Amino acid sequence: MTRTLLMDSSLLANAETVVSRARTGDTEALGELFRAFEVPVYNLARRICRTTEDAEDVLQETFFEVCRSINRYREEGSLWGWIRTIAASKALMRLRRNKYRDADELHDEVVGNRKEDTHLRMDLEAALERLSETSRAVVWLHDVEGYTHEEIANMMGKTPSFSKSQLSRAHARLRTWLGEEMIP
Amino acid sequence: MNHLTLDVLVGLREPGTEPGQAAARQHLDSCTHCQAELERLHQRVARLKSLPTLRPARDRWPETRARFQAERRRRRTRLAGFTGLAAAASVAAFLAVGNVPRPVEMTGDQLSQVMERSQVLESALNEYNPEGRVIDGRTARIAGEIEDRIARLDRELEMTELLRQQATDQDLLKLWRERVGLLDALVDVHVTRASNAGL
Ligand SMILES: [Zn+2]
Repeated sequence: MTRTLLMDSSLLANAETVVSRARTGDTEALGELFRAFEVPVYNLARRICRTTEDAEDVLQETFFEVCRSINRYREEGSLWGWIRTIAASKALMRLRRNKYRDADELHDEVVGNRKEDTHLRMDLEAALERLSETSRAVVWLHDVEGYTHEEIANMMGKTPSFSKSQLSRAHARLRTWLGEEMIP
Repeated sequence: MNHLTLDVLVGLREPGTEPGQAAARQHLDSCTHCQAELERLHQRVARLKSLPTLRPARDRWPETRARFQAERRRRRTRLAGFTGLAAAASVAAFLAVGNVPRPVEMTGDQLSQVMERSQVLESALNEYNPEGRVIDGRTARIAGEIEDRIARLDRELEMTELLRQQATDQDLLKLWRERVGLLDALVDVHVTRASNAGL
């Protein structure tokens, strides 16, 4: 929470004024919100989605939602926290819609088993890219964005233990693909 | 010695204790292998956090704004339809009571006319569909400003409608006239631009 409040002030100095203008439907103020948060929103979307097109669509869907529901934003929370949760939900919705997962996990298993036989070391970007959609989303939302398993489970419509097992699975794969030493 | 599994290590980073975690922590305290593994985990997370920030290749704001404004206009058309009916009903109620002072009835008639004019302009705009057309920056800016003023006016109208008892038809008439003026201006902006561009 503190981190997201800090994000507000670093991304948008006069957040309160901009938000109250945006609430009157002022598109210039809404544009200022877009400019302030487009990069972190896109980054989150791009880290979760498979393609840049999907991430750009999530960016647009997120701010369309922000424009429509800025009146529902309660100021006791951080603005970035509010926008970020919209973005994460939209990105997860996109994953579900694209039905990447089933085919993807299969791909993940096949590639995973094959790579384990080789001595290829991947860099972190490539390894992250190679994870299944779900594992990548969970590792990103939990370890980078700081969401709890309960919050992730809520957004995904799954249980916290599903989120926990996806996180362990992601780390096991990353560890192998990054060529980190195995402990006996 | 059985070392901690990655599952357990991943879970140990969470605050709070789950069953079995006390024993795991005890093992961790005395096992350099597992300490090293946990340290690797921490480092992996630190590396994830320090990955470069990815930026969008193109500007998605104009599209987002146009989509929002189009939706707002559709909502407004529905609102205009609804309040139009409400106003017609209130005029009918006045007439039914019988002893209607003439000026109020006049205002009611005028109000219906202005609302009707407003709906005609809205339909014309919806048909013209400015969001679906390429417009130059200046036109977009002026049209955007007018759209914003209409949106503000609509909020005022909604409030006035809600407080209908206190508001007179004169108040409503004034707001609706202002709305028609703005819609006229908006149509002008689009039509003038279209004719200048030879469209
Ligand atoms: Zn150990």
